[in-house]
Amino acid sequence: MKFFSLEVQKTFRRWRTYIGFAAVAGAVILLEIIIKMNEASMAKGFAGNLNSDFLVSGNILNVWTITTFIMNSLYVHVPFLIALVAGDMVSSEGASGTIRFLLIRPPSRSRIIFSKYLTMLFYTAALIFFLAALCIGIGLAFFGSGDVIRFQSGIPHIVILPERIAASRTLLAFVAAILSMSVVGSLAFLFSTLVDNSIGPIIGSMAVVIIFLIVENLPFESLEAVRPYLFTTYMNIWQLFLDEPINWGEVGKYSLALIGHDALFFGISYLVFLRKDIKS
Amino acid sequence: MPETILATYGLSKKFGDRWAVKDINLEVHAGDVFGFLGPNGAGKSTTIRMILTLLSPTAGSVKIFGREVKENRRFVLSKVCGIVEKPDFYLFLSAYKNLEVLGSLTRKVTKDEIFETLEMVGLRSRAYDKVKTFSHGMKQRLGIAQAILTKPELIILDEPTSGLDPQGMKEVRALVLGLSKEHGTTVFLSSHLLAELEVVANRMAVLNHGELIAQGAVSELLGGDSSYYSLQVSPQDDALELLKKTEWVELVSVANGIDVRIEPQRAAELNRLLVTNGIDVSSFAAKRTLEDFFLKITEGASEV
Repeated sequence: MKFFSLEVQKTFRRWRTYIGFAAVAGAVILLEIIIKMNEASMAKGFAGNLNSDFLVSGNILNVWTITTFIMNSLYVHVPFLIALVAGDMVSSEGASGTIRFLLIRPPSRSRIIFSKYLTMLFYTAALIFFLAALCIGIGLAFFGSGDVIRFQSGIPHIVILPERIAASRTLLAFVAAILSMSVVGSLAFLFSTLVDNSIGPIIGSMAVVIIFLIVENLPFESLEAVRPYLFTTYMNIWQLFLDEPINWGEVGKYSLALIGHDALFFGISYLVFLRKDIKS
Repeated sequence: MPETILATYGLSKKFGDRWAVKDINLEVHAGDVFGFLGPNGAGKSTTIRMILTLLSPTAGSVKIFGREVKENRRFVLSKVCGIVEKPDFYLFLSAYKNLEVLGSLTRKVTKDEIFETLEMVGLRSRAYDKVKTFSHGMKQRLGIAQAILTKPELIILDEPTSGLDPQGMKEVRALVLGLSKEHGTTVFLSSHLLAELEVVANRMAVLNHGELIAQGAVSELLGGDSSYYSLQVSPQDDALELLKKTEWVELVSVANGIDVRIEPQRAAELNRLLVTNGIDVSSFAAKRTLEDFFLKITEGASEV
């Protein structure tokens, strides 16, 4: 615990750590202002799709709808902000030479790598909760609350989440997003144990995410067999919590896949770090 | 029989096809200031890295305080500290915070201990300044501070005076001697400067091309080693002619002066010879550089 606390202190004393928070704040505030400025046309457009068949009334462009919209919009951007810190966790110690001071101390390499990994997860959770707090805080102030109307995945149909459960579902979605983003963090963390510079792990992990997303979205049947093995296939787990009812079977499957990737990436990082010769 | 604090047994490391160090058997006794001498690239840092578990040996083992380091890492490293190559710190943290972070990895360190240590290395007034504002010399001193903060029984310092000005070098030497004499700390000190080790070390090992070529008391290793002399003479050509004809003089090099090798007891005779042949001798100095020292011991090794 002491070592974890030291790692957190080190991480949160670096300005690089706050780039993610600043970027999230900037993006959320900007998006919410733009939506607020165009609220009438957006609400009309959103309701317009439904008005031909349904009678829509009430505040449909509310905090929960906007939050879901923002989460969808930042789907590729947040992983980059996670990689920015995760990709630096071990490699920065090598690049700066502090790894030598660290590894000639009594704590074992296992403890060091565990603490660093926990710190990475802590940062990921902190960033996602910050995103949640901003989305909900500003969203409530700008748009107020209301029921959520959305198109459900799978067999397409419209779902109405009453206001009273929309909040809890949105929070669950954010928790799921932490799990989803932790995989990107774990991948960047793995790359970070392999090299002594920060740029490689950040670019490397983002390249993997982008390539996987492309493969996932290409409409070729031949790629069907590959998709279950891509962690990006399961990264939209958070959307499952906005379905009604929640398909817990799918949630379990997605969670296992993401946790499995986390374990795999961390396991490799662990073995690499334990056997690593410090030549720098 | 003095207690052995640090011992290596056949310690070897291979990078690819190249042996960086091969079959190193060191023995450091309690209270020693042990000099680990060798030119750049001799394998000193590689050896130190293996001793401190940063590198895993290709062969051999290390015992510190009588215990295998590999199996007793936590116990051993709680009593050892050091600097490996240059001291690198968290530049975004202050000197105080760096010491707090690094020291607390070994044991709980108090504010007073941190300030006391900073005082010892002359950095107390800069305690709360970020390390990124420090000069190389200050970082070097902070490196020594982090090494001594937890009062380890064995301190391993890899080229601690590298990049320091003469005053800084003198201060580090005084600090090392103080640690040994006042606190009884065993110090393992690597350097490529013979003169530096001569001043502080009582025992020494010499490494060259990854192999241990000498080990023992400094006085024994360097004793009587004054067979190399550097001469400043005029006219130099006449002196060269004369020296070439003199059988007991071996010409080593001719550059800004003439370097020769003779038996120490014939130094006065050589001086007389030059003067009586009308050659002005403006300087006649015994040389004891690392290079000369190496020449002697490597020649010795090849004769065996």
